[in-house]
Amino acid sequence: MTAVPPSPLTLRHWLREAGRPQRRGLGLAALMTTADVLPATGFAAGLALTLTAWPNRSGAIVTGILLMTAAFVVRGLVSQRAADVGARAAAGIKGQVRRGVVADLFAGLRPSGGGLIAAVEGVDRLEGHYARFEPARMAAVAAPVLVLIAIATASPVSALILALTLIPFGLSLWLAGTAAAAESRNQFQALERLSGLFLDRIRALPAVAAFQASDTVASEVERASDALAKRTARVLRIAFLSSGILEFFSALAVALVAVYCGFQLLGLMPVPIPEPLDLGRAVFALVLAPEVYAPLRRMAAAYHDRQAAEAVVPTLERRDAPTLLPAPRLGKSPTVSFRGVDIAYGDAPPVVSGFDLKIRPGQVIALTGASGTGKSSLLHLFLGLSPLSAGEVEVDGHPLSRHGDWCGQIGWMGQSTVVVPGTLADNIALSQPDASRDLIRATAEQAGLTLDLDRRIDERGGGLSGGERRRLALARAMLKQAPLLLLDEPTAHLDADAEAALIPALAAAIKGRTCLIATHSRAVMALADRVVAL
Amino acid sequence: MSRSLSPLEQLIRAEVRAQRPRLMVATIAAIGVTCGAALLLGLSGWFITAAALAGLAGPAVAHAFNYMIPSALIRLLAIVRTGSRYVERVAGHEAALQGLGRLRPRLYARLAEGRGAVKTLAAGEASSRLIEDVDAIQTRFIRLSAPWALGAGLLVSAGMAALAHVASAVALVVGAAVLVLGSRWISERWVRPAAGDRQAAQGQLKARLAELEAATPELKAWSLEGWATAEVARVADAADAAAVTLARRAGSLMSWAGAVTGLTLAGVVGLPLILSPVPPATPLMAVAALATAAGMEAALALVVALRDAGAARAASARLEPLMGEVEAARMQTPAGTALGLFPDRPEIPGGARVRLSGPSGIGKTTLIEQLMGLRVDVEGRMSAGGLDPARSDVDVRGLFAYAAQEVSLLDGTVAQNLRLADPKAPEARLWEVLEEAALAERVATAPKGLNMPIGPGGAFLSGGERRRLTLARAYLRTAPWLVLDEPTEGLDARTEQKVLHRLRARLDRTGQGLVMISHRPAGVALCDVVLEVDGGAEAAASALPVCELGQTFRSQDAQLGD
Repeated sequence: MTAVPPSPLTLRHWLREAGRPQRRGLGLAALMTTADVLPATGFAAGLALTLTAWPNRSGAIVTGILLMTAAFVVRGLVSQRAADVGARAAAGIKGQVRRGVVADLFAGLRPSGGGLIAAVEGVDRLEGHYARFEPARMAAVAAPVLVLIAIATASPVSALILALTLIPFGLSLWLAGTAAAAESRNQFQALERLSGLFLDRIRALPAVAAFQASDTVASEVERASDALAKRTARVLRIAFLSSGILEFFSALAVALVAVYCGFQLLGLMPVPIPEPLDLGRAVFALVLAPEVYAPLRRMAAAYHDRQAAEAVVPTLERRDAPTLLPAPRLGKSPTVSFRGVDIAYGDAPPVVSGFDLKIRPGQVIALTGASGTGKSSLLHLFLGLSPLSAGEVEVDGHPLSRHGDWCGQIGWMGQSTVVVPGTLADNIALSQPDASRDLIRATAEQAGLTLDLDRRIDERGGGLSGGERRRLALARAMLKQAPLLLLDEPTAHLDADAEAALIPALAAAIKGRTCLIATHSRAVMALADRVVAL
Repeated sequence: MSRSLSPLEQLIRAEVRAQRPRLMVATIAAIGVTCGAALLLGLSGWFITAAALAGLAGPAVAHAFNYMIPSALIRLLAIVRTGSRYVERVAGHEAALQGLGRLRPRLYARLAEGRGAVKTLAAGEASSRLIEDVDAIQTRFIRLSAPWALGAGLLVSAGMAALAHVASAVALVVGAAVLVLGSRWISERWVRPAAGDRQAAQGQLKARLAELEAATPELKAWSLEGWATAEVARVADAADAAAVTLARRAGSLMSWAGAVTGLTLAGVVGLPLILSPVPPATPLMAVAALATAAGMEAALALVVALRDAGAARAASARLEPLMGEVEAARMQTPAGTALGLFPDRPEIPGGARVRLSGPSGIGKTTLIEQLMGLRVDVEGRMSAGGLDPARSDVDVRGLFAYAAQEVSLLDGTVAQNLRLADPKAPEARLWEVLEEAALAERVATAPKGLNMPIGPGGAFLSGGERRRLTLARAYLRTAPWLVLDEPTEGLDARTEQKVLHRLRARLDRTGQGLVMISHRPAGVALCDVVLEVDGGAEAAASALPVCELGQTFRSQDAQLGD
């Protein structure tokens, strides 16, 4: 995306801002995660009570056992609640972010393949960050302190020992985490590429199958998979290094407290320590010792969730739309004038240069010329889909360069027809969703579409022939009574008879409207008031 | 056992076998982790309890207490636990990634060979299924060590509990069994359906988004961007709600584990008190209680593994119907080249130039795709090279080089797209076919030439250029029959003439047969046999030979019926 990799601080700032609407949910999840300290303390106290009372079999044993049992029951309920609250907050944030990505996608501000992946897989990668990491991170600040305070009430020296181990721990975790962040970003980019490749190659399955090229394509997929596996393995080695460090300090904490308490209870400490320690206090401290690290372990377990989220931030950021004036409403049949229009994609030589044309209200112009002479590009100008590199296009005197496009006031029929799953009627009404059933039927008939309006159609246009797809597109363009009608090869894919049958309908559709038609067909050209050769 | 395995299961097993050394390392390390954790906690508990009692007994006893061995063991166990965890993680995940890296392309190949379900799937859903389901199968590799680790951890914990009392050990084993079995039930009945729902919802989101995104220009024309965004949000909200349901249901396993662990602990500590007149020594009770906590934690690991296994099973169940059934090696390939499109007509000999005619919508494209074995069809209708292309153990694709009407291009370079037809074709050959398709000049003037990227679906090319690239690709494949569906659609008259002139020269030179669908008069002139297609789009079609362009009905039949 950007040439300079964004700093982790910027990324975190973005994640924080994105999470702001769900602040309360995230806070609640953090609170539930922190609340885990309570049952942990209960278990420690219960065991200490039981063991102290054990030698003389006093009634306190039963209290101890009940306390331990209750502690585990509460612990289970609390963690279920934490997971639920966290997932809800994450869902809210994901929805919000996805809306932005999708809006940019349909506005034409994102390249298609990358945009699709960002909206589905990219947004999904935020889930772990908000559902697990963010609550765990907030809990990781408060919970260890609470555990240390609890331990200090029984054995201040044990609490001090544990507090001291936190310093080297934090340092080594920070070192390992920094290295993993860059790796994680690389890994996501590799995953994005693999996912895009997959989607594309699966789209091309019909061709791959026809040419028996599945081995060729499969080996290409294999190379991409391998690259991903290598990258990911490297990330994991580093990510697991930090979890290894945590495991080490967690085990060390238990060992240190056990050894200190043992020696202190035996009275064998080399330096006398003025701490009154008994069995109960020592057991309490020992059982809680690993709990100092438990919140940090939870956070570390979710650490790669944060890295995954940071890695996708650059692909999720909103794209800036150019600031343009809103397009004014056009009259019923506007005038159009092209003056010295150049259209050039990127650095390629212009496909159209110095194009001049004046169209009177209600005039029908046929654009003709060899393939690749920019007929479609001229039509795309009105949708903001081809760049106006030089010159000006004016519709009713309003310059295109200032308004960007005339979307919403255009009747369009393109070279390929969109089919959305649903009935045929749904598909026709795409251009005019509030059209009445009767109007849809009448338009379908005009366009020569004689199929059942309730016939179901899938994304690949199941059941529609090439000709029927054309008629569907035409019906759509006819249904919308737009001021400006743009037809791009309206009779392509139709045989001579069908074309002839369509011409009267086409003539009726364009009557009285300003219309630009890109076509090779003589029959269609005959409908035009003027034929312009490119 | 190996007899009844489905093709997918066989594939996965083969990859598991290939990763066996790594998986063994991961398993041994996992056992080290669970045993190390249980022993560390238990030993520490024993140590301080015994030390406390020794300290109470006076300085003489305290000094006689052997603290060297336990404290050294505690440190050792801390290191063993740490090291094992690291090794287990790295080895387990590496095995998974490598196994998957090999599994994905094989899956793709099988998918491309399967001619049934996959063609009816929308691209978005198929790819999201593929990627997510394959990822779910990943857990099968990672979690292979979990049962062993659980078994070892439980054994060690039970052994430690048995030091206090046999009843404690029994309580622990029963508790762990109840935890695992109950969790399994919850996973199957409660979590697994939610996981399936979530994945399905995610697939729907991807499919819906892909199909709407492909419509961007038209959506812009109709000002439907807002509607499309809202439509995606609607599907997405369903997917997010499914994710929340899954999280909540998976969380119920935590509540179950907490309750069972609490009751087990009560049994482990309480039973010796009730059953035995002389209660076990306090340090051993400390061992038993702490070992119970560690043992139940190991059981919880298995619960998670079971949950993931459920997701993996659902995923493989979805992948199953997408796979091709018959292995390529066992496929019959045709020896001859004659084509029989209709049961009641004589076969068309190789080298003929045939045009299929009929009104649009009659099913000409469907017919030729069935002839090439690219679409499901009823058996006994057609023949290609003496074989019935509808049969699942027949592969007639080698007979045909196909340029479809619905242009299907890879997001890659010109050369990449052409080489789909012949992976080893030298550059000179690529230029030759581009020349024949009247596209060489366009490619030659592009800055990168043959390496010019054409964009997703060929978006950087015009409609006519895409068609000619598809044509060039078909020319590159050496096959007895060239099958062209509306090859000159969208081309201007001059380019069309050029393309058809060169096509005729090509056919005259190579003697390659031609099956063509074209409405355009210029294309019609190229063919010497016309087959009128008459009938429903997908149903059985019959042919009425029509005389056209100077050919008599008689001469046509004479040519066909040898």
